[in-house]
Amino acid sequence: MSDPGVAAGGAERPALDLSVVVTVREHPEPLAALYADCVAPLRARGWSFEFVFAADPGHRALLDQLEVLRRGGEPVRVLEAAHPVGDAALLRATLPYLRGRTVLILPAYHRVEPDGLPALVDRVLAGAEVVLARRWPRKDGPFNRIQNRAVHVLINALLRVRLNDVACGVRALRRGTFEQIPVYGDNARFIGVIAARLGFRVEEIPIPQHQADVRTHLHPPGTYVRRLIDIVGLFFVLRFTQKPLRFFGLIGAVLAFAGVAILGLLSFEKLAGASIAARPLLLAGAILVVLGAQAIAVGLVGEIVVFLSPPGGVVYRLLSDSSQSRE
Amino acid sequence: MEVSVVVPLHNEADNVPVLVAAIRAALDTGPPWELLLVDDGSTDATAMRAEAAAAADPRVRVLRLAQWYGQTAALRAGFEHSRGRVVVSLDGDLQNDPRDIPRLVATLELGYDVVAGCRDRAGHTPLRRLTSRLANRLVDALTGAGIRDTGCTLRAYRLEVLRALPLYSDLHRFIPVLAAGLAGARVTECPVTEHPRRAGRSKYGLGRAPRVLIDLVTLVLLHTFSDRPFTLFAYASLVFGGLGVAGLVWAGLRLGAGAVDLVLPAVALLFLGQAGYLLLLGLVTQMMVQIRTRQGSATLASMRERT
Repeated sequence: MSDPGVAAGGAERPALDLSVVVTVREHPEPLAALYADCVAPLRARGWSFEFVFAADPGHRALLDQLEVLRRGGEPVRVLEAAHPVGDAALLRATLPYLRGRTVLILPAYHRVEPDGLPALVDRVLAGAEVVLARRWPRKDGPFNRIQNRAVHVLINALLRVRLNDVACGVRALRRGTFEQIPVYGDNARFIGVIAARLGFRVEEIPIPQHQADVRTHLHPPGTYVRRLIDIVGLFFVLRFTQKPLRFFGLIGAVLAFAGVAILGLLSFEKLAGASIAARPLLLAGAILVVLGAQAIAVGLVGEIVVFLSPPGGVVYRLLSDSSQSRE
Repeated sequence: MEVSVVVPLHNEADNVPVLVAAIRAALDTGPPWELLLVDDGSTDATAMRAEAAAAADPRVRVLRLAQWYGQTAALRAGFEHSRGRVVVSLDGDLQNDPRDIPRLVATLELGYDVVAGCRDRAGHTPLRRLTSRLANRLVDALTGAGIRDTGCTLRAYRLEVLRALPLYSDLHRFIPVLAAGLAGARVTECPVTEHPRRAGRSKYGLGRAPRVLIDLVTLVLLHTFSDRPFTLFAYASLVFGGLGVAGLVWAGLRLGAGAVDLVLPAVALLFLGQAGYLLLLGLVTQMMVQIRTRQGSATLASMRERT
């Protein structure tokens, strides 16, 4: 991608009602057809908008279709990354180029009926800061629904949110909100979760599932493992970034306490005259103490990192200050 | 503006009108003041009642937080929006008596930077008095800051001292300790009255004890070793290294006596490995301090010019 200031032509000042960002990475559908489907309901609302296709390299043929549209005067822009990156990096790199006050993020394939897209933008205009689409009613089979339910039981319990379709990937948000959400690594799919935990007003609205999305979403085992790792990582980052020793200290204290208890028991036996030097329990106790100490040490390193970090970051979000409204 | 009073509120709807009236009555005869009611994500009518109080009196301001962040974040929001030269914090449950505020401010004007309220605990049960006293003795012994009541939110501060403090996690309890240790503040205590809760529900229980303990340990360690973390890790490494060497010696002696053990040498080697690991971790942490110091961002000793 080139310099945003040059390429976007005034990107520093939002000039449009809406920027639609389509991330083109895995399994994209024909983009011209996707554009045609999505643009009609938005155009019907009379908003000024742009479609920004942010693509990983390797989709030349698909992007060429968009070039034809662009030459035909359609509000289409194409940004191509220099090397393959994740959704989060694509979104982050695209942000400075956007000219819309509201941002609608879509995957490069149909998830929901395009007629429902304006409803997401309407909710943002009505005051919500992040609006997520929930594929509902769903047309796919029980397997998809069961795995979706299982994932959300875990997400909602660990991250203390109430969401039903994090994986949908169709969201609308205010540009200013987008700028404040730390999107990196593999956490793009969790934008709604992160926003909710940071205190933004997040809504989820039902939009009927698109027929093209009706297929069994069975992924390789590695994908499920990666998602689980993402969720656990997010759990730690969102709940313990400010207090890492609480997390590591608790784990370390439990392990070390168990180890000390075992070693204490063996010490009593030793005092009573028994030989403990060849007891496997001695090794178990020592390992537990060592693991406990390691967990606490890692927590301490985390605390020192937080302590040394420059002040800033989102500790709280202010909804309103009555003195501002008075002035 | 002379005095900013900051009150964090979470589900204290019934207490808000009484609290505002009590603060107004206590401060109206003194220097100019403002009251910042920080609504910390209440789910009852707290925000509405606070807004009503603000609408009736321009000296009352309401800061509404997007969700329940906890008392430290709520206090931080209040401190960051304060306009007073002196900032006073107190609980929103009416257990602190606003009539103590002028005395705290007067004590601050004697030349202190922080005046911490110290409750009489007259209404506490003997068990609660005992646990409270033990906990505060522990805090005092570990921090050496001379604060006998870390649980009392009623305190007066100079604004510039608050601005110099890193306030995150649940460190609000230890603001005087932080102020004394990091900002070089002159801290003293002042006896204050404590009333029983009149309305609403207490947000504190025994469940917070382990977290407070971890916070305390964290604070003490950071206070002592934040600019030389390698020392802390080296001490811990010495303990494990010593145990490892002792284990090896013991195993050697047993071998000399004809006993062949596998477990004991394994334990000794594990401890020695742990000692090495802690040393490496200490080096990495020391490196971070070095980098931050080079960037001019690490905590520096607070200096005060004698006048």
